[in-house]
Amino acid sequence: MATRSQTAAVLLAGALALAACGSGGSQTPAAQGGGGKTLVIDTSFDLKTADPGRTYEPTGLFVEKAIYETLLTFEGADVTKPVPALAESYELSKDGKVLTLKLKQGATFADGSPVTADDVVFSLTRVRDMKGTPSFLLDGVEVAKEGDSTVTLTSKAANPALPFILPNPALGIINSKLAKQHGATADAQDKAEQYLNSAAAGSGPYTIESFNVSSQVVLKANAKYYGTKPAYDKVVIRNVEAATQKLNVQRGDSQVALNLSGDQVTGMPANLQVKKTASANVIFLLANQDDKVSKTTPNAKFVEAVRKGVDYTGLLELAGEGSTQAPGVIPSQLLGALPADQAAKRDVEGAKAALAASGVANPTVKLEYPSELTVNGLSFQPLAERIQANLKEVGITVDLQPAPVTTALDNYRNGKEELGLWYWGPDYPDPSDYLAFLPGKTVGLRAGWKTGAAKEIEAAGEKAATAIGDDARKQAYADVQTKLNASGPFIPLIQPSQNIVTAASVTGLEYHPVWTVDVAHLGAK
Amino acid sequence: MKWDPLARKGLTGRLPEAWRQPLAVVGGVIAIVWLVVALAAPVLAPHDPLAQDLPRLAAPGPGHWFGTDQLGRDILSRVMHGARVSIPLTLMLVALSVLVGGLLGACAGYFGRWVDETIMRVADLVFAFPTVILAMVVAAALGASLTNAVLAVLVVAWPAYARVTRGLVLGVREREFVLSGRLLGFSAWRSLRVDVLPNVTGPVLVLATLDIGTALLLLSGLSFLGLGAKPPSPEWGAMVASGVEVFDSWWVATFPGLAILTVVLAFNFLGDTLRDALDPRTARAIKERAL
Amino acid sequence: MPATDDTPRAPRRRGAHPLARFLIRRILLALLLAWGITLVTFVLTNLVPGDPVAANLGQRALGDPAIVAQWRSQHGLDKPLWEQYLLHLQGVVHGDLGTSQQSHRPVSQDLAEFVPATLELAGAAILVSLVLGVAFGVIAALRRDRLADHALRVLSLIGISVPTFWLALVAFYVFFYRLQITPGSGRVDAALGSAPAVTGLQTVDALLAGRGDIFGSAVGHLITPALVLALYTIGLLTRFTRSAVLEVLGQDYVRAARAKGLPGRTILFRYVLRSALVPIITVAGLAFGSLLSGTVLVEAIFAWPGVGQYAYKSATTLDLPAVMGVGLVVGVVYLVINLIVDVLYGVIDPRVRLQ
Repeated sequence: MATRSQTAAVLLAGALALAACGSGGSQTPAAQGGGGKTLVIDTSFDLKTADPGRTYEPTGLFVEKAIYETLLTFEGADVTKPVPALAESYELSKDGKVLTLKLKQGATFADGSPVTADDVVFSLTRVRDMKGTPSFLLDGVEVAKEGDSTVTLTSKAANPALPFILPNPALGIINSKLAKQHGATADAQDKAEQYLNSAAAGSGPYTIESFNVSSQVVLKANAKYYGTKPAYDKVVIRNVEAATQKLNVQRGDSQVALNLSGDQVTGMPANLQVKKTASANVIFLLANQDDKVSKTTPNAKFVEAVRKGVDYTGLLELAGEGSTQAPGVIPSQLLGALPADQAAKRDVEGAKAALAASGVANPTVKLEYPSELTVNGLSFQPLAERIQANLKEVGITVDLQPAPVTTALDNYRNGKEELGLWYWGPDYPDPSDYLAFLPGKTVGLRAGWKTGAAKEIEAAGEKAATAIGDDARKQAYADVQTKLNASGPFIPLIQPSQNIVTAASVTGLEYHPVWTVDVAHLGAK
Repeated sequence: MKWDPLARKGLTGRLPEAWRQPLAVVGGVIAIVWLVVALAAPVLAPHDPLAQDLPRLAAPGPGHWFGTDQLGRDILSRVMHGARVSIPLTLMLVALSVLVGGLLGACAGYFGRWVDETIMRVADLVFAFPTVILAMVVAAALGASLTNAVLAVLVVAWPAYARVTRGLVLGVREREFVLSGRLLGFSAWRSLRVDVLPNVTGPVLVLATLDIGTALLLLSGLSFLGLGAKPPSPEWGAMVASGVEVFDSWWVATFPGLAILTVVLAFNFLGDTLRDALDPRTARAIKERAL
Repeated sequence: MPATDDTPRAPRRRGAHPLARFLIRRILLALLLAWGITLVTFVLTNLVPGDPVAANLGQRALGDPAIVAQWRSQHGLDKPLWEQYLLHLQGVVHGDLGTSQQSHRPVSQDLAEFVPATLELAGAAILVSLVLGVAFGVIAALRRDRLADHALRVLSLIGISVPTFWLALVAFYVFFYRLQITPGSGRVDAALGSAPAVTGLQTVDALLAGRGDIFGSAVGHLITPALVLALYTIGLLTRFTRSAVLEVLGQDYVRAARAKGLPGRTILFRYVLRSALVPIITVAGLAFGSLLSGTVLVEAIFAWPGVGQYAYKSATTLDLPAVMGVGLVVGVVYLVINLIVDVLYGVIDPRVRLQ
């Protein structure tokens, strides 16, 4: 029967179509209105979670900064001096092992309950014991409550960096009572992430209205915030490609574009503000010291040839205005950074001489780099191609080996790259983070540089790690970097500019090396 | 030994007429121009395609008619040299697909039974994936390089030929001249080669011409995603990708894209005319499979 | 599955409706294919060099074995490969696709969000293609060998020759950036919010919620990417419709109808189009598949939060559960579309046997 099978077929087709489409969406409906000001921020998302204890991606830190408060923070863009936040004062013991923090009175969470010493102890031990990405920040640090409004943090060795670590938004204080109700156990089995992705359990100026790791995050002002109310009632953070960010902000679709490259911000119309600040990300080359990985790169003269062969000015031209050459591995805005005049300079003849002295004739080396990675809007691709052309002039043939980040990063962390092009951003704005570049340490090992490979540099590093007092530390870290630049396997290249474009109506924007921008400090005009 | 007289006559009888069609002429001329460019690029190109010695992101103008890219390379020279990368690889890729797909399809059609079942189910499996996504994952699994991109496209391209060849072989297999050949004691291989092959070649070649365009599109698409050509090689898809970042400088992406478009268009003009020249039945079989 | 592999001559059960038998066979075959898809995706993703850990932990944490070990065990990557696959398969059977390493959400939840976005885009594109492609094809056939026919032929060939990723870029630059006549990236203006999700299709949800402003914005956002995607299928459908219509025009019964003096419009709609519909639907079904492929590239340019972008991101970060989920869902969508096409075949043309 034609009619019956016809009906059946149509019904079936309809049912299938429904089944295909009707699996349902999960966007939370955006509440309309509110009457206050809305700020739209475009950025390329690097976001996985809103759980501070698991956050380590730039967009995540940016979002957490608005939702959670930390014990200490930084004022504006100055990262050389931690200032009080939830703690009203702090004191580091003479041996540098015990940090005592006195909590501020009157701070409340978004549900109105007060922030207590118990919340602080729970939040910090949770980060440490969940073994999530940021857990290393508090590795080996014991957190204890000393009375209702005092907390001590005790490290096994001197830890003068701790006050610089605490402002990291990953160490935001969460409402422990709420979190425990929703599965927080502060160990590897902790289940509170789902909850923290949908509700704000912090004491910051904003709370979560909706949160989607791939499309957009909407923040709304915390109605019960105990501090100064932020200028914007609602902040929409959208995941947008850099090229589109530019068009959106030009058309007024958004008020802030965070990830534009140097080329993209040239020729911006006068009604927009362009803020170009050298970022704290240092892009560098590494030459593997492991002779099982390469016969060429462990040669000190070869490394010298590369160091003298790179055209730093040419790289800065690619990175655009606002970028600076990195004089050492420690970025310019941190304590202990080398002065700009100590940066390496191009010397083609010197490079050729060094190459001749190395005894390696017509070397061919592989340069591995993450092909789709961009740092502050700057893609690694043209950088690698420029370096290849630079070294060709010197007589070094570079075979470019781009790979997706996962593949490249895997080779990098296993110390398998002959030459590598990478970057390091500060985990916390303290020079001790950069001891990772020494032999036997995280980054040193990635360059095949094992403990004992450079005794003099290692000794300088140990001295720097235990130095107390700003001047002594400055001196010690400068010494480490001078030695690294003379004979280490790393060639610091540039700190690309972080270019932020805002509408004329947005005021008070400061670029911050850890959380990019503090949304709550933005004003409206 | 007999050949199918109709099929042969159908193809040879109509071809010259087909070539007189303006579309085929236009396609042929464009294709020849590109082949000449590919062969003579080192002589014709005004600059070294790799030299980074011009001003960065200069708009098209005297000295650099297609403008320069973000590293100060001449785009015109890179587009010309790109022909040396893309065109030979595409032709090789299609030839490989014809070979692999044709062979498997012929086996499936001729031997039938489990051979047929196995080959065609694998083909179905490939068809069940969206081509770009499958090629993407295969290319990623093999590591980014042009050779691997070719292999990845090969993985998704062969089933089309297998299906067409199988269909054609099935049509021919039970025909008198093949049966009589087998009765005379020809081996399966000889029977395939002598009796079946000539009757299948024409349609498969037309499909191949039509496929050159698709193959180039897929190959440059993979390079666009960073899964094909290795820098600083001037591959067109990779050049378009580098233009995405410098959106404002429209010339960086526009010209390599036009190069892809014209090459694909030329082969589609040729293929379309050839297809019309075939007898309608095989033409339809091809159309339905040439997606 | 030997039960389904019965030869055509096997005795047929009485009473089983041919449609039902056809469906059962197709569904069993689909299940087999779906299993094949999971196996292929699993093997391929594991062949990719690299380690998903690298995509998920910071540079510093990667150097900390305790954090890495904890992450691996949390995602079940410390188990042997075969066990990982079996666990995944077990999950799929129970409707659990696992948790994405990237989004930290259940993959099914991710897909429920991204698949409708892509279906909306591809659906709009196929709609446009069907209307324009069939119209152009009919015009070309009726004006055979005249100017319109030749012009449409050239246009349709250009349509199938344009690299989609490039066209998307050019369209975005010209219409959004230069002329500023189309809205920007995404599915709807952020300032408007979005309608409550019922179907996941913004346009439909907006209408259901009675929000004209959101509907307008959603349609505006759809136009450019849908047209870019549609260009290829328009070209394809124009060519196929033309030849299908030409073939029918040459049939005896059409000639007879004409000889009887029936008006041209009646002949066209009652006889010609109806018969030509079968090949057109086949092609449209296959074209829908190629559209899903095209969305990978188009979504990237228009920042369309669809399954193509999700697939690309999952593949590059080796997010195994997500990759397998995408493979499975897209494969199933393909199979469903083919099934619908086959069924429609039978409806339109009763001569086609359901076999």
